[in-house]
Amino acid sequence: MLQKIVLRNQSKTQLVIALLGAFLGVLFLLVSVQYFFKVNQFGKGSEMLGPNTLIIQKKVSSSTTLQLASTSFTQHEISVIENKTFIQEIQPILSNNFGVEFATSDPMLPYFRSDVFIQSVDSRFLDIKSSQWRWKEGDEIVPIILPRDFLVMLNTFMSSSGIPQISDELAKDVKFSLLLSNEKTKKQFRAKIIGFTNEVSSILVPESFMCFGKVSFGSKVTEKITQLMLSSKEKEFGLVEKFLDEQHYESKNAQLVTGRLKSVVSMLLLVIVFISLLTLIFSSFVLIQYIQLLISRNVYEIRTLLRLGYAPRKLYFVFLLYFVLLYGGICFLASLVFIILKSRIDEKLHNSGIYIALDYSKMTWATLGISFVLFYVTALVSTKRSVMNEF
Amino acid sequence: MNIQFNQVLPVPLSSMSHVRDSLWNTSSVFNQGQKIMIEAQSGRGKSTLIHLLFGVRKDYHGEITFGRKKLSEFNESDWVDYRQHHVSIVFQDLQLFPFITVLENLKVKNNLTKHFTDDQLIEMLGRLGLLDKLHVLCGQLSMGQQQRVAIIRALCQPFTWMLLDEPFSHLDEINASKCMELINEECEKHSAGWIITSLGLQTTFSYDKLIHI
Repeated sequence: MLQKIVLRNQSKTQLVIALLGAFLGVLFLLVSVQYFFKVNQFGKGSEMLGPNTLIIQKKVSSSTTLQLASTSFTQHEISVIENKTFIQEIQPILSNNFGVEFATSDPMLPYFRSDVFIQSVDSRFLDIKSSQWRWKEGDEIVPIILPRDFLVMLNTFMSSSGIPQISDELAKDVKFSLLLSNEKTKKQFRAKIIGFTNEVSSILVPESFMCFGKVSFGSKVTEKITQLMLSSKEKEFGLVEKFLDEQHYESKNAQLVTGRLKSVVSMLLLVIVFISLLTLIFSSFVLIQYIQLLISRNVYEIRTLLRLGYAPRKLYFVFLLYFVLLYGGICFLASLVFIILKSRIDEKLHNSGIYIALDYSKMTWATLGISFVLFYVTALVSTKRSVMNEF
Repeated sequence: MNIQFNQVLPVPLSSMSHVRDSLWNTSSVFNQGQKIMIEAQSGRGKSTLIHLLFGVRKDYHGEITFGRKKLSEFNESDWVDYRQHHVSIVFQDLQLFPFITVLENLKVKNNLTKHFTDDQLIEMLGRLGLLDKLHVLCGQLSMGQQQRVAIIRALCQPFTWMLLDEPFSHLDEINASKCMELINEECEKHSAGWIITSLGLQTTFSYDKLIHI
């Protein structure tokens, strides 16, 4: 009965426009927040090397090939790099000087073997806990990081053998073996993949394992350091790039490109989040204005009910409930459309070769919750004030 | 509960001169259960008095006390309680909802107080000759019929005072008497009194006190 009395004199067109605005505002905000956070997470977890880690080497030219210039780093060159303010960590990369054979040793998979190169890297350059990246003499299982290209190659072999391809996760559960050897002796170890990298072309092993290999199977020739792994300080990639260029060093640029691309896309998405936020604020403002308009159009009814003994609280809750339900409906509808839209966008991105995590960002739903709570509070204050004015 | 006036003078009437036995700017008490007739010419503050007593207007000097509490010290919940349980009103402009039916107009009030059953409401409408108007929109009734609906609506609550601002201005003597009979019955049940304002002297019903303002 109360609704029938105080929710009269509605302007359907204005209400529909205000609700449409709120719907679009909520929808834009959900989409932009979702992709803003997903783009920032892009690449996280799929790459084992830390985000600011680079592998550098000297440029190979005709003169280096003819051995007129050296491609190895001297101790002095290493300390020069180490002393640069933008360098956080530096470590020479050790490569094997003994035979290494990588093979499958899982009854579920066909036998596959290949001679491979291994390199060692310290856990501080990796995006994993150091406890996972540990090996000591006597341990049967060696943790390894596999070049992603290697998995692609393995999958090519699988398909040609008529066996289903294996995913990253499945590969981590498959049993592999590493066979270390020289002319006289050989020893087999079980290998467990703990992650993948796009940055290195050889299989990565813990430094202790490499040292064990060198001592047990390596040649006695003194090794030259041809590659360095370094990590730069946050947001100082530009200085590193400049330095590398001046010194005629080169690095695999994928990390730099991804980093730059992420910055640009996330900045663009941040602008869209901001615009969506403004849209939502303005559309909610229009809706709140509409509530006030409705109250002012029904001021006689409200005043009379108050004089009949109705508590102001009872009256403004009629308005509040009505508009909170409407806004809740809008949020629900926008969430449904967002879910459909997201699946379409993800499909498009996937088809274009961009693999963004498919799960929903917690921040997306948190934003929805916050917008609902803010609307509730604003509507409560607005309706309460308007009704109390008539008391 | 008694209503006490202590040097009350509405701001809009402060520039006018008032007779010695006027209610304004003097002290007087309305005792619970009294039937008080307020008689005055237009513009002397009859409706203002009703509005002051009901808390619709608060622009006055002096003090009005209801029981032991000053009206000027009432807070929101005091006013809600006062209007739901202690003081009932028939406004001069009736303040009905023209877009809902007669029965719905009564239920708006009765749903709040749960004072009467539907059958009792219908019985009262029958007594005042409105049984056939039960489901007619209030806006379609004559002024006299609307006055009778407003009177029944005012009875749909417990009260110690009933305020009626020129309630029979559109009623003939027979209908006014029927209304008065109903009002007096309900007042008797609640040991309540009434305050009726009138342009001229009423001879169709009795009262305990006549006040000229």
